[in-house]
Amino acid sequence: MKPKVAVIRFPGSNCDRDTVQAFQSLGAETTILAYDREDLEDATHVVLPGGFSYGDYLRAGALAAHAPIMQALVDAISRGAIEVLGICNGFQILCERGILPGALFANVSGQFRCSWEWVEVLTPPARWPGFRRGMRFRLPIAHADGAYRIGHSDREALWAQGSVFLRYVDPDGQETGEYNPNGSWEAIAGISEGPVMGLMPHPERAMQPWLGSKDGRLFLSLWLQEVPQ
Amino acid sequence: MTPDAVGLTAKEAERVRQLCGREPNDLEWGLFGALWSEHCSYKSSKRVLAWLPKEGPQVVAGPGGNAGVVRLDDRMEVAFKVESHNHPSYVEPVQGAATGVGGIIRDIVAMGARPIALMDSLRFGLEGNGQRLRDGVVAGIGGYGNAIGVPTVGGEVYYGPGYAKNPLVNVLCVGVRQSKDAIVGASGARPGQMVYLLGQATGRDGIHGASLLASRDFSADDQDMRPTVQVGDPYTGKLLMEATLAAIETGGVAAVQDLGAAGLVSASSELAVQSQVGLELHLDQVPCRESAMSGYEIMMSETQERMLLVLNSAHGGEALAAISQWGLNATPIGRVTASGRYVLYFGEREVANLEASWLVDGCPLTPAGKDLVAPAFKPMRPSPGSMEEGVEEGFDAGALMAIASDPDCRERRPIFQRYDSMIQTATVWGPDHEVSVLTVDGSPWGLALAVSGIGRWAAVDAYAGGAAAVSVVVSRLATQGAVALGLTDGLNAGNPDKPEVKQAFEQMVLGIRDAARALDVPVTGGNVSFHNETDGAAIWPTPVIGGVGRHFHPTAPVADSLNRPDVTLLLINPALSPSLGGSVWERQHGVLTAYPRVRLSDLAHTVTWLGTAVSDVDADIRAVRAVADGGLWLALVKMWLASAPSVGMTVTLEAVHAMPRLLSEEAGQFLAAVATTRVEATLLQLQSNAIGCLVVGQGHDGDYLELQVGRPSRWTRRWSRSQMRAAWQSWEGDSGGSGTP
Repeated sequence: MKPKVAVIRFPGSNCDRDTVQAFQSLGAETTILAYDREDLEDATHVVLPGGFSYGDYLRAGALAAHAPIMQALVDAISRGAIEVLGICNGFQILCERGILPGALFANVSGQFRCSWEWVEVLTPPARWPGFRRGMRFRLPIAHADGAYRIGHSDREALWAQGSVFLRYVDPDGQETGEYNPNGSWEAIAGISEGPVMGLMPHPERAMQPWLGSKDGRLFLSLWLQEVPQ
Repeated sequence: MTPDAVGLTAKEAERVRQLCGREPNDLEWGLFGALWSEHCSYKSSKRVLAWLPKEGPQVVAGPGGNAGVVRLDDRMEVAFKVESHNHPSYVEPVQGAATGVGGIIRDIVAMGARPIALMDSLRFGLEGNGQRLRDGVVAGIGGYGNAIGVPTVGGEVYYGPGYAKNPLVNVLCVGVRQSKDAIVGASGARPGQMVYLLGQATGRDGIHGASLLASRDFSADDQDMRPTVQVGDPYTGKLLMEATLAAIETGGVAAVQDLGAAGLVSASSELAVQSQVGLELHLDQVPCRESAMSGYEIMMSETQERMLLVLNSAHGGEALAAISQWGLNATPIGRVTASGRYVLYFGEREVANLEASWLVDGCPLTPAGKDLVAPAFKPMRPSPGSMEEGVEEGFDAGALMAIASDPDCRERRPIFQRYDSMIQTATVWGPDHEVSVLTVDGSPWGLALAVSGIGRWAAVDAYAGGAAAVSVVVSRLATQGAVALGLTDGLNAGNPDKPEVKQAFEQMVLGIRDAARALDVPVTGGNVSFHNETDGAAIWPTPVIGGVGRHFHPTAPVADSLNRPDVTLLLINPALSPSLGGSVWERQHGVLTAYPRVRLSDLAHTVTWLGTAVSDVDADIRAVRAVADGGLWLALVKMWLASAPSVGMTVTLEAVHAMPRLLSEEAGQFLAAVATTRVEATLLQLQSNAIGCLVVGQGHDGDYLELQVGRPSRWTRRWSRSQMRAAWQSWEGDSGGSGTP
């Protein structure tokens, strides 16, 4: 079945247009769905894009997590009917809603940070076999609240379930175990559980070599489970 | 209410009475006070700004509107303008800077253009609370720009003693729109149409921001000005931006004006004058955030994130529907009339009845100087020390490293890393380059953007500084082979009532005029900020120039660094007699003499040649940079540090004047690395175009920079990459963020 991608637009989302463009450039049929809908139309793939939903005035993602469309998302996930990707603010929203474990805290620098980073697949997600262990991507980050945290009691389960999907590696793409642009626990950049994936970096911004990297094409293609173009 | 209380002089008050033919009421006095403030009326600068060239076949809209507009190609147009938020940023750096960003974004949106890029030009003191102010300003710019989703693609920061209590925050915004869209702006309102207010509910914030805060000098006890600073809300700003653009797209918007300085009174009277219509506004209909706001407060409030829209009858309903899609409401607050009168009601009661043109154009203007020629160049004092006497006494490697690590020269990553420079996925070159390069949706061409304005260069000779700012910007565009389409000027100075400030301001504008003419680029709009003066100490006159260029191959910028070492280093259009006037070196040594006059016709030649040469395979220019702050030396350092690790450079200079040659900041010079196999041909090309050139070095394998002075070499110094990087990246107490390598 050809994927039908829906990008959810919350008030304050600002990567929605970039994300739509990125998926369209991969040939995927892509639409925008408003946050106040109560259904997902016939989407097979749902993306929660980056931005500052509701201004991030409460906690990043906390209000959007309870937008009307989120119930439809939860229901569709439990039916196994869709695959979900949360990017940056979208990842924060998934965590705030409890769809993914853990939470995103303020960067330890206390500052917003926009930079190119290398990330590496630590645990290949069962749902997306195309992502192989050790695969590296050069992707930008742009966030103030990207430090991944999870309670002590949940850490073992996170590893056991193979949820630790993506981690930051050093600027030369080497895994030193020390590099960490935002202070995430275990330098975690992304998590996956079942049909849901969330990450802080922005694959939709890495679609052309002249923008600094085209690794985002491979990343999003693997998420769509399409043959990379 | 007395005229004095709203900031009017006795003479201005008399003029108001004359215009009205009666004693105005309190509200009317307030309206005049706000619009006749320096900030809104440009009374000290209007006649001077008229000197600037503003014509060109590519100009769609010149000065006077919300922003200038130039044509990129047959389909796309570019709206751009720089605006200052200096005074608010001193009083409250985070919100002052944030609302500056919000304000200039709304100006671009009001032209019907989608904002695609921000650049900022910042000035701080090095001492005292300079760092605190800078951190606040950077947080404010980032907080607003990052959230509203407009990338900050470049900028600059410089330091100087005068900026310690007068920080400068100038923000440039660039937007694009399709040519086929009717020009939106403030001039399209017609009688019978309804006036709507869109966005944030009006509160008591920012009252008197323009008339008092931004239009007078500061003194020690001005902390009481804090209540006049507005608060920015990028979330509403984002919704407002999208709603306004969506409304314009329906064809239902006849006129639009953003609410900035002097809020509703400024926006509505400007719109009335530009559309040549009358207005009737009902202040009791304005949605307010606080209870019992008076008509005066409603008119003066500078609450952010508001737009004034006039809708036409044909598609106005569609515009309203588009707005509500974004969760905002547009409230009808009045209508356009044919009377030409500007009438305000509160309930049934008429509370003001004036001509809008009295408010907008009535203010008595300060006469401009009559002398429209460049002031004579005063021969500079010789630079101190033995700098000019030759290599034995004068050469100083430590001084070179001190330049590389100077706050005016060092890397700005700790600042620009806090801005989202990549959102909208069009940033090919961002803030780690001196010229930004963007692709533009809907055009095969893209944009080259640059901003520059070094106050140090204008400190002694404002004419030279003004001309240099334009020259640097056009030079940076030329390194990309881009055609300069237009300039915007952010002019910052002290108290214009002081003769020396006024004179320097006029000379600065003359310098801008002469350079813009010589380089054939119109100035399509900008901003003037006077009264950057605290306790009697003024800033250096600071001409912030932003430039927009048409880039013919945006996905393949002309490199500013090297991948391979087989190059010869050329200094193109070198200074004829290198001067250290106005340089970082002088400032470090406690003197400041006149900055050299840019040789404008030589630069114009060079720019023309570069326009084709940078993409000419025969010339084979591998990398090129414009010389500016830190001179040839800093251009070399930056080119080298950005190059592949295997690339080294050997720089060879004559012994005489070696240091001035390296450190002269004369604009219009270019450092180019040309393939060594092609260098003879390139030199011939330059010669036949009568463009001066010096061979200053070679690339080599090996990860070091070597300087050889004298032929044969009498003095040699070598730096490793890590040494040089450590100097250039010395951030002194700045945090680079955790994990920064």
